[in-house]
Amino acid sequence: MKFDRRLLFGFDWVLLSLVLLISSIGILNLYSSGYSLADLDGASLYVKQVYWVLIGLVFMVICFCIDYRFICRYAYVIYAFSILLLLLVFFYGNTVNGSKRWLAVCGISFQASEFVKLTVILALAKYFDNNKIDGGYNLKELLLPFLTVLVPFILIWKQPDLGTALILIILFLSMAVFAGVRRYSIISTAICGVVLLPLCWNFLTEYQKERILIWINPERDPLGAGYHVIQSKIAIGSGGIFGKGFLEGTQTQLKFLPEQQTDFVFSVFAEEWGFLGCVVLVVMFLALILWGLSISRHSRDLLGALIAFGITILVFWEIFVNIGMVLGIFPVVGLPLPFLSYGGSSMIILMAGIGLLMNVSMRRFILQP
Amino acid sequence: MAGRQDRLTGHNPVDLRNRLRFFLWVISIALSILMVRMWYLQVIRGDVFRQRSENNRICLREVKPLRGRIYDIRGNILVDNQASFDVSIIPEDAEDVDSVVGRIKGLYAQKLLEFSGGDVVRGKVRRPFVPIKLERNISREKLSIVETNSLDLPGVVVDVMPVRKYIFGDIMAHILGYVGEISSDKLESDTSGGYKSGDMVGKQGIEKYLDRYIKGQRGGEQVEVNVAGRELRVMEKVDPVPGCNVVLTIDSYLQNIAWDALEGKAGSVIVINPRDGSVMAMVNRPAFNPNLFNRGISQNNWRKLLNNPLHPMRNRAISGQYIPASTYKLIVAAAALEEGLITPEASFFCDGSYKLGNRTFRCWKKGGHGEISLHRAIAESCDVYFYNIGKMVGVAKLAKYSLGFGLGAKTGINLPGEKSGLVPTKRWKLNRFKEPWQLGETTCLAIGQGFILATPLQLLNAYCALANGGTLYVPRIVKRLETADGRILEEFNSEIISHIPVSEKNIEILKRALWGAVNEVNGTGRALKRKEEDVCGKTGTAQVVGLPQGDNVRKEKIPYKLRDHALFVCFAPYKNSEIAVAVVVEHGGHGGSAAAPIARKIIDSYFNNIKMRSEK
Repeated sequence: MKFDRRLLFGFDWVLLSLVLLISSIGILNLYSSGYSLADLDGASLYVKQVYWVLIGLVFMVICFCIDYRFICRYAYVIYAFSILLLLLVFFYGNTVNGSKRWLAVCGISFQASEFVKLTVILALAKYFDNNKIDGGYNLKELLLPFLTVLVPFILIWKQPDLGTALILIILFLSMAVFAGVRRYSIISTAICGVVLLPLCWNFLTEYQKERILIWINPERDPLGAGYHVIQSKIAIGSGGIFGKGFLEGTQTQLKFLPEQQTDFVFSVFAEEWGFLGCVVLVVMFLALILWGLSISRHSRDLLGALIAFGITILVFWEIFVNIGMVLGIFPVVGLPLPFLSYGGSSMIILMAGIGLLMNVSMRRFILQP
Repeated sequence: MAGRQDRLTGHNPVDLRNRLRFFLWVISIALSILMVRMWYLQVIRGDVFRQRSENNRICLREVKPLRGRIYDIRGNILVDNQASFDVSIIPEDAEDVDSVVGRIKGLYAQKLLEFSGGDVVRGKVRRPFVPIKLERNISREKLSIVETNSLDLPGVVVDVMPVRKYIFGDIMAHILGYVGEISSDKLESDTSGGYKSGDMVGKQGIEKYLDRYIKGQRGGEQVEVNVAGRELRVMEKVDPVPGCNVVLTIDSYLQNIAWDALEGKAGSVIVINPRDGSVMAMVNRPAFNPNLFNRGISQNNWRKLLNNPLHPMRNRAISGQYIPASTYKLIVAAAALEEGLITPEASFFCDGSYKLGNRTFRCWKKGGHGEISLHRAIAESCDVYFYNIGKMVGVAKLAKYSLGFGLGAKTGINLPGEKSGLVPTKRWKLNRFKEPWQLGETTCLAIGQGFILATPLQLLNAYCALANGGTLYVPRIVKRLETADGRILEEFNSEIISHIPVSEKNIEILKRALWGAVNEVNGTGRALKRKEEDVCGKTGTAQVVGLPQGDNVRKEKIPYKLRDHALFVCFAPYKNSEIAVAVVVEHGGHGGSAAAPIARKIIDSYFNNIKMRSEK
């Protein structure tokens, strides 16, 4: 491929800066959360996260170098590959904390479910781009893309990883609405959803039901999941307006917080930086999301718009659900906070996703050859 | 801008923008909700939470459940729980750990007690709020010192740990088993999720077999502690559920008798009620003291147990596989009768030896038994008679009847570690040794020697079936499970494995012969002859190595390891048998002289003491 100098001109420095800024906050926050942790690996978790960010940047570069239209030519193949990985997890995965999420290859373990988020976006984008319909899709036309999501949804649900599974569904709904759905289809789906929602209760495991009951009443299980929520609320609330200061969070430092480096990492941040810090963080997230939507809006074609939208909305939902969960608005479903939670798989996939965003962004001025 | 719109070919760009605007609204509202929630938690209720976080330190503590008790059939406690005390220190609260430990040592020294804990090891990184164990299992004296001086000993906490108390010590060791910290293997293979690292679990015997019932459910406490690490109050509590109590069929009185009877021997005694297969006593010697395992057995003690050549950890009654020797003749006789190969009257001539090809097999009685038929052949345990009928029956039929009597398969008793013994067949020999079955091996098998192996429990169970008229029961040792408050959870009823393939008539003939072994002049089990009840029994002398037969080598001159195993199996009374006893004395010599007297003691005390007491 001949190098086009316009690519360099179009490189999205704003996006890169935003991502690096938020990642840096994440690493700093991890440093604090592991500051007094006795585990040898706990203390160095932030160092590992630096490595993950660096590795993620490599993936980011790979993802923006190759034209997204070229990538999408193989979208279904990539999607099939990711489903294969999920199946491998299903049969051979390693179990951590009671759920089977990890696949170990050559000593490196990763979460296939993270990868699937991206491949689903690509597959959906390609499908909607290939099957453009004026006036929006009806339910029948949405069946195939829905199946695309349903397969990984079931596999991830079975792991069990309720959070990621639900995010996939929300992702599908968002992308479908964005691609255009007939009004009556939206209304009938909504009605069906409301009616069928109580039925979903039967499909939940005891553990998941318990999580939801605890969300309604945290005192229900003061020693288990309820404890997470209570402690998380104490941590966040005690941060007050200005926070307790970096490395000063007592809830964090005294290890009252469970999962404080992964799903509950936001409560560490909130305790130490207070309401003002949280506002700054949320504004930065908002800036990132708005920028992503603007990339989608200015994309040169529908495919790019769909990809950019998919990635942006995914990041948004993850942020919303995670923070909502930590604040006690949602039940504890177990979902990482983008750029802040510790985790190799999620960081790399996020960076790759940002790479795709840049991909769309920097090619917006290039006309189709 | 207008130019770019056109590039969104096929779609109406205005629609797309409208939808983006819709999502913009969704996002704004969602993030606003988060902000409002943050405002509520951090600004409006910030002070409340700040106070809770600063003044109160709430942590979680696990409350271990008590394991269930174990009782014998008379309601005597066999296993109870008692308290054991550990002293720990929380570094953060102690501020200077070394000086606090020094103070404890000083206090001990005043009472001439010694500090048993090692040095407090502190790694490079440590958790200041996690207690460090100083001393384990301290005495009451030390406990009172630590408790009364607690104000001078900041950060020092006493943990109460329930430990098992095995009241009968060695006597019940193999039945009850012992507890120990869960192994990492078990933890990994456990799928129920009921176990955590550090849990005490049953490792042997009933403790292991019924662990999931006995262990109970752990509870927990949300504890508020002050800055010094002291508990202020328990905020929330989930009570642990104590484990189920177990009632065994064991009679501890009889168990004691059996234990004493086996004094100084290595071997096993089992007592079963043949009417329903319930185990009244099961003793193995040597044994171990399960109390030693309570707080983790010391390396030294563990090595002693493992290196003991007599294997004190082994439950010989169910996992010792012995050559059944003459006790097996019963099954051979049953096979010959049932197959119609002999009549009770048919006789063979025993001149003390039996020729097969160019091999000579001897009878244990040098001069031979002369003309002999079934009844005397069993009573006097004539080998030549059985060589003859064994050849007629053949290995295949012998195997069939052995299995019919429950040999070669686990009985299914509620204890872990049972062995299935071995019933040899032609195919087994070929697979195992790549050699065909020899006729001489059938001859050996006919008197219960050679390849065949049985556990004492299997042997006794086979005799029980004969005693009760043909029903082979699953031996059971657990009577019932009760909840901690005494509600019956599960009653273990007698279960039937099968019926032995012997007709009622033939059972009578065989029982009569066993009666003769004890009550007739030349019977091998005369040691059991009692005035009051008719005891039926059969001796066995299992060759450990093929010693030169017939030579009268004095028993004392043979090295211990090469001496014969002595076996005796009996039941009483003749009609409506209610007790059956099996005795195995390893390297004890003759069944009649080494094992039968032990059985006698048990039968005697059963009829003289226990039965009379029960009937009163």
